[in-house]
Amino acid sequence: MFSYYARLALISLRNSPALTVLTVGAIALGIGVSLTVLSVYNLMSADPIPQKSDVLYAVTLDSWDPERPYRERDATIPPYEMTFRDAVAVRDSDIPTHAAAMFKAGFSVQPGNPDIRPFRVISRMTDRGLFAMFNLDFIYGDAWGARADEGGEYVVVLNQTTNEKLFGGEDSVGERVRMGDNDFTVVGVVEDWNPTPKYYDVNNGAFDEGEEVFMPFALTEALELYSAGNTNCWKPEDIESYQNFIDSECVWIQYWAQLDDPAQRQNYQQFLDDYARNQQSVGRFQRPLNNRLFPVMEWLEVRQVVESDALIMLAISFMFLAVCVFNTVGLLLARFISRAPHIGIRRALGASRQAIFSQQMVEAALVGTAAGALGIGLAWLGLQGVRVLYREVDRLTYLTPSMIVAGFAIALVAALAAGLYPAWRVCRTSPSFYLRLQ
Amino acid sequence: MLEMKNIAKIYRTEAIATHALRDFDLSVADGEFVTVTGPSGSGKTTFLNIAGLLEDPTDGTYKLDGEEVGQLNDRAKSRIRNEKIGFIFQSFNLIPDLDVTDNIDVPLRYRGLPGAERSKRIRDALEIVGLASRQHHLPSQLSGGQQQRVAIARALAGRPRFLLADEPTGNLDSEMASQVIALLDDINAQGTTIIMVTHDMSLAGHGGREVRLLDGRLASPDDAETLAATGTGV
Amino acid sequence: MPDLEIRPILGTMRRNPVGAILIALQVAFTLGVVANSLFIINDRIGLINRPTGFDIDNIVTVQSTLLDDPADKLQQVRTDIEALEAIPGVIAATSVTQLPLSNSGSGTELFASADPNAPEVNGARFTMTETGLDAMGLTLAEGRWFREDEIKLPSTYGDPINVVIVTRVMADALFPDGNALGATVYDHLRRPVTLIGIVEHMQGSWISWQHLDNNIFTPQVPMQRFARYVIRTEPGSLDQVMSQVEPTLAATEPRRIVQRLRPYSEIRDRTYTEHRAMAIMLGVVSVLLIIVTAVGIVGLVSFVVRQRTRQIGTRRAIGAQRLHIVRYFLVENWLMTTGGAIVGMALAFGVNYWLANLFSLPRLDPWYLPAGLVILWLVGLLSVFAPARRAARISPAIATRGAAL
Ligand SMILES: Nc1ncnc2c1ncn2[C@@H]1O[C@H](COP(=O)(O)OP(=O)(O)O)[C@@H](O)[C@H]1O
Ligand SMILES: [Mg+2]
Repeated sequence: MFSYYARLALISLRNSPALTVLTVGAIALGIGVSLTVLSVYNLMSADPIPQKSDVLYAVTLDSWDPERPYRERDATIPPYEMTFRDAVAVRDSDIPTHAAAMFKAGFSVQPGNPDIRPFRVISRMTDRGLFAMFNLDFIYGDAWGARADEGGEYVVVLNQTTNEKLFGGEDSVGERVRMGDNDFTVVGVVEDWNPTPKYYDVNNGAFDEGEEVFMPFALTEALELYSAGNTNCWKPEDIESYQNFIDSECVWIQYWAQLDDPAQRQNYQQFLDDYARNQQSVGRFQRPLNNRLFPVMEWLEVRQVVESDALIMLAISFMFLAVCVFNTVGLLLARFISRAPHIGIRRALGASRQAIFSQQMVEAALVGTAAGALGIGLAWLGLQGVRVLYREVDRLTYLTPSMIVAGFAIALVAALAAGLYPAWRVCRTSPSFYLRLQ
Repeated sequence: MLEMKNIAKIYRTEAIATHALRDFDLSVADGEFVTVTGPSGSGKTTFLNIAGLLEDPTDGTYKLDGEEVGQLNDRAKSRIRNEKIGFIFQSFNLIPDLDVTDNIDVPLRYRGLPGAERSKRIRDALEIVGLASRQHHLPSQLSGGQQQRVAIARALAGRPRFLLADEPTGNLDSEMASQVIALLDDINAQGTTIIMVTHDMSLAGHGGREVRLLDGRLASPDDAETLAATGTGV
Repeated sequence: MPDLEIRPILGTMRRNPVGAILIALQVAFTLGVVANSLFIINDRIGLINRPTGFDIDNIVTVQSTLLDDPADKLQQVRTDIEALEAIPGVIAATSVTQLPLSNSGSGTELFASADPNAPEVNGARFTMTETGLDAMGLTLAEGRWFREDEIKLPSTYGDPINVVIVTRVMADALFPDGNALGATVYDHLRRPVTLIGIVEHMQGSWISWQHLDNNIFTPQVPMQRFARYVIRTEPGSLDQVMSQVEPTLAATEPRRIVQRLRPYSEIRDRTYTEHRAMAIMLGVVSVLLIIVTAVGIVGLVSFVVRQRTRQIGTRRAIGAQRLHIVRYFLVENWLMTTGGAIVGMALAFGVNYWLANLFSLPRLDPWYLPAGLVILWLVGLLSVFAPARRAARISPAIATRGAAL
């Protein structure tokens, strides 16, 4: 029966091409707009590391101003980052499976090869725990050893692009690169690492590129590094030397830990709270005890990675889809009712109400499928447009397979919903009504 | 006074040109009741459409009350239809969404009459057709005969000088048909000129003058035999 | 006053409400979206077009990182500035630590008195040289700009300075009663500084910060090996100057990395990317939505015209002029649109209320509602016009010919 209905529907669609184009076009446009927005939204709110996002935690300590909370609107949120001295203290714990302090810093690279001009890179200053914790893939070599995390070892892990630039993509492990005023030894090369969103450091744009090289956090003091990201201070402090700066209450270090089970998490929380209480005795941590561990997805929510504009667009695009559905109800109603006399004849010839209803719904489904295909094409176009508008969001402007499926599904549901009333209305009318009109 | 001279009407389609009317002359004096008969396809409706300014003749002159109406623009024609002519159709042509009162009201509104005058005329017209009790019914809630009477009331409410009826009894059973014809007779007796098209030979010559059409021409007496030979019919 | 047949039209709609409801719903949602979109678009364009206070269209900026520590940083910067100012077409150049409208930089606070309870006044901090006023194209409202001998070597943090210049808004915030010029203000460590000048206006670093116009100028050069230069050019010579910047800097000191050479307007454009994108996307969505609604009205009215062919023919036969037929459809549609628009105005208000609460957006200016109504009236009338004209061309002979439905 289905194929018979489908054939009837095709004939009907062919017989009124203008109306068909309008009907399919209306839903397709709705799908195109909402799918474009939904794709961007979906990628913005995606889980950047689904395998282990629930065991990775942003570690935060409330060392902020006793007079006011870090976030005026929500006192339950501690500072997003740590002071240098707290990060160094927390690094001592061996409770987490992996852990890493981190921040980004700029370096001038002077390649040994005089044909390559000096250039600037952004380095992630971190601990070896980062590589295993965040699942970075090594192409050559490996993370630096535990001793480098103690300091004094000038080692670097390059990403693929930088290795390409400096060594033509060859295995560069053991090679030396001058960065800043020091020669660093390459210990490993990783694939370019660009999680979307950039959950581990969303300070300067949650959809920025990842860093190009990685160096031991332990070198921070020796190199007198400042953060190329954010530094937030609350206390008027007389900072006259680098030592003053790293001893200050300014927060600028991100800290992440992998805690595989609740017990481990509990232990670690205990450790953090003990540390904070300990610091209270030296006059720090004067706010109520508020040290929190945020799993990845919760952290993205706290940091409001999905921008309010994206939510507004999402709301508006679904209103757009609603208008398209109302529109389609009208067009399908027109299509079905103008065919009502034929349906009267069919009813007289013995078609049941249910048969007529199914026939109309098959036609609606056909319209939905066509609109889905067209809508996905429009969404692709829409995403190209979004890419032009937002220069830096290449990684947010593509259609994932699940979005394509979603596009079809929404189109089909929209078309069937739109077809429901017209089909019901047509199948309900008594056959004689139309036959008399003949 | 209605005068047609040398009227011709040609319908051109891709394949053929149909001469629906040719060399057609007719004059109808005020107060007459003319029946136009002829077999199906002989051009009766075409004649009525031209008489009622629904279609333009291809050729010839048509004067209504001495005024040449063939060359008038749409607006002027609409006004004449609205003020001088009343129509009664075979299939009633009531507006299905409007109730009886509102249906009768339609031509009065186009004339721009004030509300009080309109309601008075509607009441009078309903009185004449005997449907005062049904004024808030929808067409679908009336029988065929009642619908046709509403259509007549709609035509009368405009107080037309000419009433054009195209097979007004074609969709009615004989009892309802005779009610409608009786109504038309009354209206004619009040002074309204009536031209009624019908293929029902029992109505031929009703009320006085009969005009026969055959193949788009006025049938001359000799055509009577041809008619008999080919047979009349629906 | 022509008879608009409003009552019979309303009667017809009541008996057959689905089409009217569908059009009204589309109009309602469209108005909800369009009114809010227009409001947001206008708000964003307003943000983008706020006056910057500096000569943004004629400025080039560049960033330089030396590969070695300079022997004398102050001298190094002076040499660079002199070399840059020697490029033909350059009016003036200065070094700066941070760029207005770049969305990054650092802030500090000033106090009007040494009293520990004095309210702090926050502002972004721009360190410039004695050429800063000309290089930015700022307008000095009161007092004077920095002298050459006041420019200091930078130290890591808060090197004591003795003079400071602020924007007028900042001066007023510090001294609501006026008399800011020449006053002593206090820095974050409550060290006294003299306020020697007031700049008419300059936008600061972070475009969504409430204190965007609160800005502080201090006489220093950037830290360590790093420097950023702002180069103001004669109108029309920006491109030509830009091509000279890298060779000029390389000539004074080749051991450096020169980056981010760009017209200032590009920095602003980048900073406002999201606002502009939002405005454009909302504009596109609104236009598409209006098209969809118009198509919906055209489709539905065409259908109605087809369905009412016989009725229209009859109306024509009993004396309706073409104008009457067109007017009938226009009035009918106007009633539906207006009904929908009234619902839509409530919806628009609700949507805004919800968005405003969720994202602390500004409240919808009520003028956008009648504006939306007028837009939808126009859309409705224009869409209905073509099918209504087609209806008016239906032959009155349809009434006798018993044409198909
Ligand atoms: N719009 C038209 N196009 C082409 N031919 C037409 C049209 N209207 C009527 N005719 C033809 O003109 C002739 C006269 O028709 P009509 O006046 O309706 O006949 P009657 O009313 O006597 O049955 C017929 O042959 C008919 O087919
Ligand atoms: Mg006929």
